Amino acid sequence: MYISSRSELSEFRRRYRWMRLFVVLTFLVLVGRLVQLQIVDGREHRDESISNVVRKEWIPAVRGRIFDAKGRVIATSIPSHAVAVIPHYFDTGKGFARLVEFLGLSEADAEAMMAKISERLANPKDMRRFQQITVADGISQEQLAAIKSHEDELPGVQILDVPVRYYPYGNMASHLIGYMNEVNADDIKKPVATVEDPYRASDRIGRSGLERKFEAELRGVRGWRKKTVDARGLALTSEEAETLVIEPKLQEPRPGSDITLTIDMGLQKIVDESLRGHPSAAVMVMDVHSGRILAAASKPSFDPNLITRGLTAEENRALDENPFRPRIDKTIYENYFPGSVFKPFTAMAALEEGIVTSEDVFHCSGFHEFGRRTFRCPKPHGDLTLREGITVSCNVLFYNLAEMTGMDRIAKYAREFGFGARTGAGYNSEAAGSIPTRAWYDEKFPGQFRIGFTLNAAIGQGNTKVTLMQVVSAYSAIANGGTLYRPQVIRRIETPEGDVVKEFHPEIVRRTAVSQRSLDLIMEALTGVVEDKDGTAYGARDPRVSVAGKTGTAQVARRARQPGDDMQRFYYMNRDHAWFAAVTPAAAPEIAIVVLIEHGGAGGENAAPVGIEIARRYFDEVAPREEAPLVAEKNDKARQRPKRVVADETEAVTASTHRR
Amino acid sequence: MPRVLAHRFRDEFDWVLFGLTFLISLAGVINLYSTGKSSGSPDLYLTQIYWLVFGGCMAFAVAIVDYRHYEHLGYVLFGIGIALLVLVLVVGTEVNNAKRWITFGPDFGFQPSELMKVFLVVALAKLLHHDPRSEGRTLYDLVIPAAMTAVAMALILKEPDLGTALLCLLIFLSIMLLTRLKARSLFLLVATTPLIGVLAWNYLLKPYQKERVTSFWNSFVSPEADRLGAGWHAYQSIVAIGSGEVFGKGYLRGTAGPHHFLPEQRTDFPFSIFAEEQGFVGAFLLIAAYCALVLWSVRIAANARDRFGSVLAVGVGSIFFWHILINLGMVMGVLPVVGVTLPLFSYGGSSILTFMLCVGLLMNVSIHRYRIAGGHHGDFA
Repeated sequence: MYISSRSELSEFRRRYRWMRLFVVLTFLVLVGRLVQLQIVDGREHRDESISNVVRKEWIPAVRGRIFDAKGRVIATSIPSHAVAVIPHYFDTGKGFARLVEFLGLSEADAEAMMAKISERLANPKDMRRFQQITVADGISQEQLAAIKSHEDELPGVQILDVPVRYYPYGNMASHLIGYMNEVNADDIKKPVATVEDPYRASDRIGRSGLERKFEAELRGVRGWRKKTVDARGLALTSEEAETLVIEPKLQEPRPGSDITLTIDMGLQKIVDESLRGHPSAAVMVMDVHSGRILAAASKPSFDPNLITRGLTAEENRALDENPFRPRIDKTIYENYFPGSVFKPFTAMAALEEGIVTSEDVFHCSGFHEFGRRTFRCPKPHGDLTLREGITVSCNVLFYNLAEMTGMDRIAKYAREFGFGARTGAGYNSEAAGSIPTRAWYDEKFPGQFRIGFTLNAAIGQGNTKVTLMQVVSAYSAIANGGTLYRPQVIRRIETPEGDVVKEFHPEIVRRTAVSQRSLDLIMEALTGVVEDKDGTAYGARDPRVSVAGKTGTAQVARRARQPGDDMQRFYYMNRDHAWFAAVTPAAAPEIAIVVLIEHGGAGGENAAPVGIEIARRYFDEVAPREEAPLVAEKNDKARQRPKRVVADETEAVTASTHRR
Repeated sequence: MPRVLAHRFRDEFDWVLFGLTFLISLAGVINLYSTGKSSGSPDLYLTQIYWLVFGGCMAFAVAIVDYRHYEHLGYVLFGIGIALLVLVLVVGTEVNNAKRWITFGPDFGFQPSELMKVFLVVALAKLLHHDPRSEGRTLYDLVIPAAMTAVAMALILKEPDLGTALLCLLIFLSIMLLTRLKARSLFLLVATTPLIGVLAWNYLLKPYQKERVTSFWNSFVSPEADRLGAGWHAYQSIVAIGSGEVFGKGYLRGTAGPHHFLPEQRTDFPFSIFAEEQGFVGAFLLIAAYCALVLWSVRIAANARDRFGSVLAVGVGSIFFWHILINLGMVMGVLPVVGVTLPLFSYGGSSILTFMLCVGLLMNVSIHRYRIAGGHHGDFA
């Protein structure tokens, strides 16, 4: 056995010093790192460790309610339940099967849900496995009960209380009221609402209509409660945990403001009922003395409750593929040819420019030759005055007027009454319509202008396009003595306590530069449309109500028949749109009603009855009066377009003749 | 003869080594009480005490027998270690995709790789003991010890257990640092290391091991992005340690441990909990104790009576040193996350027994530093 002596250890001896040095230096590095972590960055790390444990639990703000003009609730928030899953604790076998069963999910939906869950479970270090995923919103009481009573079979499944938007009136006025849905990445990036409360994932946001327009007011500001949790997001209950929470521990949410609309849901219901049998239509009712919209219907509509809840793929497709375009607000988004509804404004131009007087007589032989073209009238009307021309809606008379007045002067008066420009109602996307001028044609079709264009424009065809909103505003202006109001849908914004935040007063766009005489003449003619035996709406006349109005038929671009087209559908889709624009009562108008029946055919036969029914029921049910308003004598020279107060006095004195 | 041994044990007992071992173990138990209490197994610290007592007895037994007997058995022990490593690959229990444990029933098991570290030191000590040099060694001289280490490492990597394999390499290098290398050989060794690294990266490392290394690298490059991914544990550990600040949050008042922000907190991350609750003061004292322990083993080596004792003490000291460095480096975010325990501090029978074995060996070398009359070789007549 070899035993070394101490002196023989010399090979090692010099190494120990270096080893000691290395060891000491290494430990100094470790201590240096410790100093850095605990002393230099200690405060920062302590804050981090607290924010690790203390989490803000958001308390949703109650969204403001929407009321109609009479205080009925149109939109409110009701308690609702959502189902969430924490992937880590979720039983992806039996538990998953049970949950799918209780929620009644389709195979595709179940697969989508599983995909979301397994994505987070894929990586064992992915901490999102402890974050809940909402898998179902607004579950029914039955589903809630089923899930609650089978809790032990559903580990990792949570029931959340989330307020959900509820629209008691369902489909009614839904384009105007709008709907909500989940925020997307863009919403989160550019906050629409308060800076202090940016949008967070899975928030809901007003997506259309007034829900969108008044998002900032309705939304409110969410509050929070500080909560201590462990790494898995589970609540801590110990007292020590409580001491980590820095005051304040609670911030109460601030509820959103309530808004009151000008819409009267009673009238809206009447409007909807009067549209029965017409699959695709739109109606607007306006208070002629203030521009307030009392009813706005675009048919077919949708149930905002369903959209807010989230449409299934099938429901979504049904909405998209419906040929009557339920997603579109036909009262404001869509441009239409006004057809004969436009004639009063051509007449107004001719009267105001001194081209025609009430006495001038025109002759209609059923057609009007201009150049090499022949412009037709539905029938030869014989001799007629301007008033009669409006009453029977004679095209030939208006061709003559157009020729004499010229396109630009017609456009001037059309614009005066708000056509060709957005009304500024301020919700949804609004179309501007179009009122062509010579300059417009010169720009679009240089050198191709023909007087024929003017003839077409004069009877609301050609390149004359309008929206329902413009028509109802313009007719209101005719009826109220020439004041064009900005259409208004909202009366006021109030805090939940009832303090008024903002009151919306009628807003005058302009007092049209037309004479009372011309207005009177037009009104007289409009009354004749309904009251005269040869008036185009005479067939729809209802003796119980006095209406002055104008029918119209807007040509529809003819569609060539495709092989395989349903014949009935084909003929239907090629029918013209029917218009009826009216004010009532004729003698002292209070409201303007505009009806558009898509593919309704002739206005007098199809749209007028709807408008007149609305007028009658308005006075019967919505604004009943002990003494009904005056029915205008046809040639009542004292017909005024006075202010409402005057009208009321008149009503009081001369009441009894209203109902015949 | 036993009487003589007992006397010598009494007279030459290394109180410093005993004191450091005791203090570190005690701190470990106290810390374990805190982590165990909050994680729902409050009795863990008792289990740890049982292991420490058992390990202490074993260390006593190991220390009392003159280490020359271990020298005799050097290659036999190495052979046993290798046999156990082969056995674990055959009958080992698989946990987290790795076969590291030989279990006896549900409650008890041990890791042959832990024992292997110690046996490797004994075998290398024997090798050097019989190969005294005064001139520098060439690479050729290193072939046999390197081959022994490589066999052990290969078997451990097969389990796989990257951390322990790496430790074997470091222990081997540490022991070889004791010897002198020819300048040319040293240069060659340094030059080929990157090549070996590249080969290891491409052919030896498992994906999850690579991911840890990349995560570690990423945490330097883009700390924010890494925090929710693979670097989460390292980040949480840094936050826990840092949040202790100078005086700590107070015993039993830490938040990282009880609230599951740290994984494997009893075995791999106990220092984070300790530093969070005891602050810089406590953590510094613990590190100082470790530093003293390592320096003390160098001192024992320097004072050893023969080459075998010296190499044994340096080897055992290096086991401590590298374990401490890798674990603390990992929890403080300066080294990648590798499952290496903190000596005498981490929870676990296998770890405690291994380090108690190490303490026993150090104590042995320390006690037998003098040649005494009546030694059975009688060389000090």
